[in-house]
Amino acid sequence: MDLLIKLQKIDRRIIYALVVVVLMLPLIFHPAGHPTLVTPEVHDAFDVIDQVPKDKMVILSSAWGPSTEYENGPQTAALMHHMLLKGIRFGIVSWDPQGAQLTYNIGNNLQTELHKQYGVDWVHFGYKVLIEAALRGIGTNLPKTMETDMNGTRLTDLSKLPVMKGIRDSRDIGAVVEISASGTLEGTMTYMTQPNNLPLLYCPTAVMSVEAYRYLDSRQLKGMLNSAVGAAQYETLIGLSSFTTPASVTTWALSTAHIFIIVLILLGNLGYFASKKAARRQGGEANND
Amino acid sequence: MRMYLYNLWSWTIGVRHGWTLAAFIVGGLLLGSLAIWLLMSVPTRYRKPIVIAVTFLGGLVLALEFFIGTPKWHPLTDFLPAYSSVQMVIAAFTLLLGLVNLFVIHGQSISKRSKGWGNSLAFFVAFFAILVAAFVKDYATAKAVSGSAGSVYAIFFLGFLTPLSSTMFSIIAFYIASAAYRAFRIRSMESALMMITASIIMLGLVPAGLYLTAWLPVWLSWLRLENITYWLLSGPNMAVQRAIAFGVAVGALAVGLRIWLSLERGSFFDKQL
Repeated sequence: MDLLIKLQKIDRRIIYALVVVVLMLPLIFHPAGHPTLVTPEVHDAFDVIDQVPKDKMVILSSAWGPSTEYENGPQTAALMHHMLLKGIRFGIVSWDPQGAQLTYNIGNNLQTELHKQYGVDWVHFGYKVLIEAALRGIGTNLPKTMETDMNGTRLTDLSKLPVMKGIRDSRDIGAVVEISASGTLEGTMTYMTQPNNLPLLYCPTAVMSVEAYRYLDSRQLKGMLNSAVGAAQYETLIGLSSFTTPASVTTWALSTAHIFIIVLILLGNLGYFASKKAARRQGGEANND
Repeated sequence: MRMYLYNLWSWTIGVRHGWTLAAFIVGGLLLGSLAIWLLMSVPTRYRKPIVIAVTFLGGLVLALEFFIGTPKWHPLTDFLPAYSSVQMVIAAFTLLLGLVNLFVIHGQSISKRSKGWGNSLAFFVAFFAILVAAFVKDYATAKAVSGSAGSVYAIFFLGFLTPLSSTMFSIIAFYIASAAYRAFRIRSMESALMMITASIIMLGLVPAGLYLTAWLPVWLSWLRLENITYWLLSGPNMAVQRAIAFGVAVGALAVGLRIWLSLERGSFFDKQL
C-alpha cells in the first residue's frame, strides 16, 4: 500500500529523465514501420494532389517554423515527394522567416534524391508577410504578388524559372495546401481558396487538427494530414512504408511518449485511490485533494 | 487615370540595385520621418479623427474590392498587390516600434545594473551580431563574393536561432508529462470520461495504438482504437467545435465592426492621442 501511495509523488526530475529516454528510443533505433491504416482525409488529400493536371501548379502555403518542425516538416516532405515523383509543379510561400529556409532545405534535399531541379520542377517564393491582400493576390495575380523567388529572381524571368511558365492566377492553380502551426486556415480559406473555387488541403499540428473536422465535413477542406501521423499515412500511400523517414520516426516517438503519459496517469491515479483507501481505514478524510 | 496610378505604383515598388536602391532607402526614411513629424504636429483634437478615417478607409478598400465588380470588370483588384505593400510597410513600422521598446527596456536594465542585466546585454550582443552578419551576407550575395559571410549568418540563423526555437517548444513535452501525472485525477464522472477519451485518442492516433487492438475480429472492428478515435474526432468533437466556431464568428464580426467604425471603447481607444 505504501508503495502505491508513493506512486503519486514521483519526483518531477525522474519524470523529465524518463521523458528523455522514452523520446530517444525511436530516434536511436529509427523504426521504419508506417501506419497500416490510412484515414479517409489522408486518402482524399492524396487523391486531390494525384489528380492535379500537369499544366497547373500546387501552392504550398507554409506557416510554420522550427518549433513545429517535427510535425510540419514530415508533412511538407511527404507532399513534395509525391509531387516531385508525379511531375506536378509546386510553389512554396512561407509566412514564417525561419520556415522559409527550412522548407527550402526540404525541397533541396528531395530534389537531389529524386534527381529533380529547382526552377524547373518547383519554386520557392521565399518569406512573405501574411496579410489578407497577399492571400487574395495569389489568386488574382500570382507573379505580381510574389514578385521574386527565394533567391531574388523575378518570377517573370522564365529562362531561370521555367516552372512559372503559364502560371498567372487562380485558373493555373490546381490545389492549395495549408501547412500550418498557427491559425492561418480561415484566412487562406476566406481570401484565397473559396473566392477562386480552389481545392484546399490542410496539414496542421496534432493539437490544431481537432478544429478542422468541421471543415472536412462541410467539404471546405478536401483532405487533411493530421500532424506527423498524417504524413506517415501519406507516405504509405506513395510507397514509402518500408523506408525510415522523419515521419515514421516521429510517429514512433509519439507512440512511446503517449504510452508513457498514459502509464503516468494510471500510476498517479493508483496512488490517489490507494491513499484515499488508507485515509478511510484510518477514519480520516483523504487530505491530498 | 487608373492605369496611370497603377504604372506609377509599379515603378515605385520596382526592384532596384546599387546607388538607386540607397537613394530610395534614404528617400523612404525621409518621407517616413516627414509623415511622422506631420502627424505629431497635428493638434491633439484632430489626431483621433485622422486615425478613425485611416482605419475606416483601410477596411473600406478591401470591402469594396470584394463587393464591387464583375468577373470581367474589377476596378480595385489590380491594386491588391500595392495595398499589400502598403500593409507591409505599416507592419514594418510596428516592428520598429517593438524594437525601440526592447532597446529602451534592456538599455535601462543595463544602465541601472538591474537584476538579470546580463540577459539584457546578451540581447544587444545577439541583436547586433545577427544584424551585421545578415548585412554582410546580403552584400556578399549581391556582389557575388565568395567567402565566409554566408557561413557566419548560417551559424547564427540555422545554428543558434533554429535549434533554440525548437528547444523552447520541446520543453512543453516535459511539462505535459509532469502535469498529466500530477493533475489528471479521477475525482468525478466527468474527469473519468475525459481521461478515457484522452487515452483513446492518444493511442488511436499513433502506430502503437493500432497494434493494441489489431487482434480484434472484423465483426468487432468498430471497437478498434483507431476507429473509436476517428468517430470521436469526426462526431462529438466536430459538433462541439462547430458550436464554438459559430459563437466565435459572431463575436469576431461584432469586434471587427467596432474596430473598423472606431466604436471600440476602453484602453487605448479612450486615451488622448
